[in-house]
Formats: sequence, C-alpha cells, structure tokens
Amino acid sequence: MATVTFKEASRIYPKTERKAVDQLSLEVGDGEFVVLVGPSGCGKTTSLRMLAGLEPVDEGEIFIDDRSVAGLPPRSRDIAMVFQNYALYPHMNVAENMGFALKMAKLEKTEIVARVREAAKILDLEDFLERKPGQLSGGQRQRVAMGRAIVRKPQVFLMDEPLSNLDAKLRVSTRSQIAELQRRLGVTTLYVTHDQVEAMTMGDRVAVIKDGVLQQVDVPRALYDAPINAFVAGFIGSPAMNLLDGVIVDRGVLIGQSTVALPRSFHQAVGAGPVVVGLRPEAFELSNDGAGLPAVVKLVEELGAEAFIYAQLDQPAAPTLTVTPDLVVRVDPSVVVKAGDRIILRVKDDSMLLFNADSGARITGS
Amino acid sequence: MKFSRFTWRIIGLIVLLGFTAFFFVPVIWVLLATTKTDTQLTSAGPFAFGAFSHVAAAWRALFGFQSDAMLEWLKNSAIYSFGGVAIAIVAAVPAGYGLALTQFIGRRTLLVITLITMIMPATALVLPLFLEMNVVSLTDTAWSVILPFSFFPFGVYLCYIFFSSTIPKDLLAAARVDGCNEWGVFRYIALPLARPVVALVAFFAFVADWNNYYLPFVMLSDNSKLPVQVGLEYLISSTEAFNPGNPGAGSELVKRPELALAILVAIAPVAIVFLFAQRTLVKGMLAGATKE
Repeated sequence: MATVTFKEASRIYPKTERKAVDQLSLEVGDGEFVVLVGPSGCGKTTSLRMLAGLEPVDEGEIFIDDRSVAGLPPRSRDIAMVFQNYALYPHMNVAENMGFALKMAKLEKTEIVARVREAAKILDLEDFLERKPGQLSGGQRQRVAMGRAIVRKPQVFLMDEPLSNLDAKLRVSTRSQIAELQRRLGVTTLYVTHDQVEAMTMGDRVAVIKDGVLQQVDVPRALYDAPINAFVAGFIGSPAMNLLDGVIVDRGVLIGQSTVALPRSFHQAVGAGPVVVGLRPEAFELSNDGAGLPAVVKLVEELGAEAFIYAQLDQPAAPTLTVTPDLVVRVDPSVVVKAGDRIILRVKDDSMLLFNADSGARITGS
Repeated sequence: MKFSRFTWRIIGLIVLLGFTAFFFVPVIWVLLATTKTDTQLTSAGPFAFGAFSHVAAAWRALFGFQSDAMLEWLKNSAIYSFGGVAIAIVAAVPAGYGLALTQFIGRRTLLVITLITMIMPATALVLPLFLEMNVVSLTDTAWSVILPFSFFPFGVYLCYIFFSSTIPKDLLAAARVDGCNEWGVFRYIALPLARPVVALVAFFAFVADWNNYYLPFVMLSDNSKLPVQVGLEYLISSTEAFNPGNPGAGSELVKRPELALAILVAIAPVAIVFLFAQRTLVKGMLAGATKE
C-alpha cells in the first residue's frame, strides 16, 4: 500500500525530438485505482514503464511512498506488473510462474505454496496449477499473469492493457473482476488502456494523455460532464461527442445553416466569432415543432436498448465551413427512422459545451 | 517449355536420384571394399560383395596396427571433440545472449567483429594459432587442439539469432520486475529456454571438431596424440598400394580394405550423432519462425 507521485517526469527516446512523456505530474493516493488512457503512442505505457524502472527517467522524479525511485532497479521497487502479452515463463508451470518472484525473494517454501494456492483460489486457477502456459487459453493466461502479480503483495500494481488480447465478451467480464479484486485487495493500482470504456468503468480517477502531455485527471463523471478541452471531450464517451464548427452570432450560435440559442450562462463568456460546439449524442432529441437543426439520416444503428442515428447536417448554399458535420444522435429504440429521412434535431437545454476554436480549451460560462 | 506437372515431377525425381547416386556411390563402394581382400579390389567388380570373414580380418588387422594405434586415435578424437564442444557451448551461449538481449557500449561493434571472424577461413588461422601455441609452449599437447576448437564464432552467431528471435523482451522485463538481477534473468529464463540452440551448436561444433584435419596435423607431432583424421593420413602413407616401393611413415604395411574400414570407423560417430540429433536440430533451426 503506497502513494505514487510523478513530478514533472519526462522521457525522450534517443534520436527523437518530441518527448514521449512530457513533464507528467500525477499523484496517486494510497489504494487508489488510477487509469492512464489515451490514443496509441500517447506515452501512457512509457509512463508506466518509467514507474516500473523499465524505462529511464530523463527529467523530473518519480516517488513511491515519498521515496524517490531514481536509480532503483525494478526488483527493488516493490511493484508487480501485468504485461499486455502476459509474459508468462513458458518453461514453468502455472504454480512455478506465480511462485517465481517469491522464490527470488527467498521466501519459505511453505509460504510460497500457501500464497500461490490462495491466489489460485481467488482467480479460479486451482485446476491448472500443473499446466504450462502453452496449454492454457487466453483468458486463463491472463489470470495467471494477474496471479503472478497478486502473490507478491506489492506496494503498487502496474497493469499494461491486460485486457486488450481478450475477446470482447471476456473483456467485459474480466474488467469487473479486476476492479472488484483491486477493491478487495486495496492495492494502489496504475492501469494503462487505450479503451475509454475500460477507463470510465474501472478507475477511481482517470488521467487522459495526448502526445505525452497530461490533459486532465479527474473522476470519470467530471471528465464526462466537464472536459477541460475538446480532445478530452471527444475522447471520453462512446459514441464520441459531436464536435461541430460554429460561429457565435447575436445570442446564438450558427451551426450549418441554423442558429441554436446560446444558453444564458455563455452570453458574457464569448464574443462573436468561430467556436467549436460540443454536443453529446444524447444532447439531441427529434423536434416535433419544426424548430432546430435540419439533417438527413445516413445510417441507423440498432443496439437494442437504444439506437444511434448518423445524420448529415444541412449546409448553407455557400458553405463557410470546411468540414461537413456528421452527427451521431442517440434516440429511443421506439423512434422509427430510416436512411434518407429528413429529421430536425433540437438541442436539449444545458447540454451544449463550447470550446475555443484555436486552443480547444473549454469555455466555461459565468 | 511447357510440360505437364507430372512430367516435371519425373524430371525432378531423376535429378534427385542422380544426385543421390553421386553422393552415395562412393560410400557404397567403401562399404563393399571392406568385404574384399586387397587383390579382389582390383580383380572383382567395384560392387562385388566379398565375404564377411574378410571384414573380420580387416578389422583385426586395422586395430592391431601399431599396437592399437586406431583405438588411441579414436580416443583422442573423442577427447578433443567433446572438450572443444563443451568449452564452445559454455562460451557461445552467454555470448550470444549478451549480444542479443543486453545493452552495453560496443555491442554492435562486437557483433560485427563476430560476423567477420565467422567468415574467415579456419585454415588461414591455423599457422598463426600454431605460433601462438608455440609461445605458450602448448604445442603437441591436447590443449593446442581443444582451445582452438573452442573458438566457434558461428556458434555465437547461432545463439545470437536464437535469443533475439525467440525470447520476447517483455519476458525479460517480467523477470526483472519479479526480482532477478541480470545473471538471474539469464540463468532462470534464457538458459532453460535455450535447449534447442545448445543442441544445434553442440552438433555443429562436434562435426567440425571431429572432422578437422589440418589443425591437429599442424599442432601435434606425437603419433599417440593424433586424432583419427590425422591418423587416417598416417595409415594412407603406410599403405603399400599407394606408396609403392616406399612404405613411408611406418614399418607396418596396411592393406586397402583395412583403409576402407578405417574410413568407415572414422565417419561413424558423426553419422550416429546426426541420426540422434536430427529431431532437435530441426526444432532449433525453426526456432523463431512463429512467435508465441
């Protein structure tokens, strides 16, 4: 059990110009489950490996429990790691895999056997202790990799996209198992993923990273409702938030060829000019009085409990915008629409987000 | 040329049979030569079968030559080969691992040097080696043969290829996180997984060492220290039929069937080792073909 602190930590790969991790500052509380999320190549795995001691820290510092890890090899940091490809030792059976680190730590044989058995029980691996990794399924191997980490009883768990090699259904069930296990064991955990659904459902807090720079770290709800910039807004939530180019006009914002009324709270905050409007799929409803944004339905996705309409907004005859806005709209499954239909979309109250057209930063109302 | 697939197959078969014959006919000749007497070799046809009793006679004569010289030579070959193989493995496996999976200054340079030494013809190195052995007064001893035998850059290269292609980097990272220092990573993870390449290197080293003629020929002068390949040369120079009027090295005379038998005895160990090693060899050569 320990805290983890990144203090302006950076990593530059040799012969590259851009920092892979750019002055990351992050504090993870004792027992907290923090998820690092971002698109491929954003530096989240590198950050994790810096904490593990598998990547050097070029600038800044990293602390585990207020003790700097600079100069400490991975084996001295009291951490356990679950790798994306599991990295199980192929020549050892499951029991030996799980007990290997304990053997290295020179624990008593009886203690090793007890801990391995305990972990096997938690992870439902008791029947497989004699098998070698090559004889296991993907899901079983993943559990062995987890087991190898939990027998260590370390200060910090590090997990590098442990679910990405599992099929979709297994991923969903294992996701909740991992979250529950972490809650039960109470070990400080740093979890890396590119899947924002995993991030939102598993983390106590989520850190969104882009191009090596930490964008925002907060509880999932806050990331969803109050994203700090357009990137976070577009990254969190599935389907992604609609980010539309708009122009602020008198008391409203022009999107396509229609004007949507600007909420009162924004009146003082924005001046006239271009702006990026953020509207989540659930921010729309089909208008029944003809007022709203006209659009043409291109595709309807039926998901059972809900449906998503992919529509194209009507454009003015001489378009001033360079990007044709395609929208995703969430509707009740009872709505009957098909491709080619014309619809009018009304923006629900208090559901609009505005972002600065240049910097992407969110414009907060007064 | 447009032939049917069947015709191509026949042509291929003929070519293969041709090459098989090309390689096997001399061996068959030698096999049959041991069954004939010296005069029968020239009087009877090349593929005529003599009698098993002649083989027994040739065997007795061969192993009686110079009071068990043949046995002595075989023993020497075994000592030199096994000694060379053992030291070659102990050196090549860690070297290949180091070149493949660790980071240190000059690693690339070392790898290039290894490749360069690998393509140097061994024969060209024999005389310089002799001068070196002379300086440390090791000539005409077993070490003058075993030590050069242990130098096996091809083995290092094989191990380098094996380690860099079959051991995922994350496996080593996992071992490091699990508490291993660098030696531990090698000992507990890399080495147990290296069995296929150890067998491969052992095989190549053994065959090269057992068949090596020139190095022991230069290094050793005492008859009792010769390996069987050099001993064969000694036998040839003692064969009356090849040295008419001038028996050469020894005072005993050797008949040609005995020589044929000596050849067979000399190549037998390699053939047997190859038969046993075949399965492991194929596994070692395919290592890294598919990643787990």
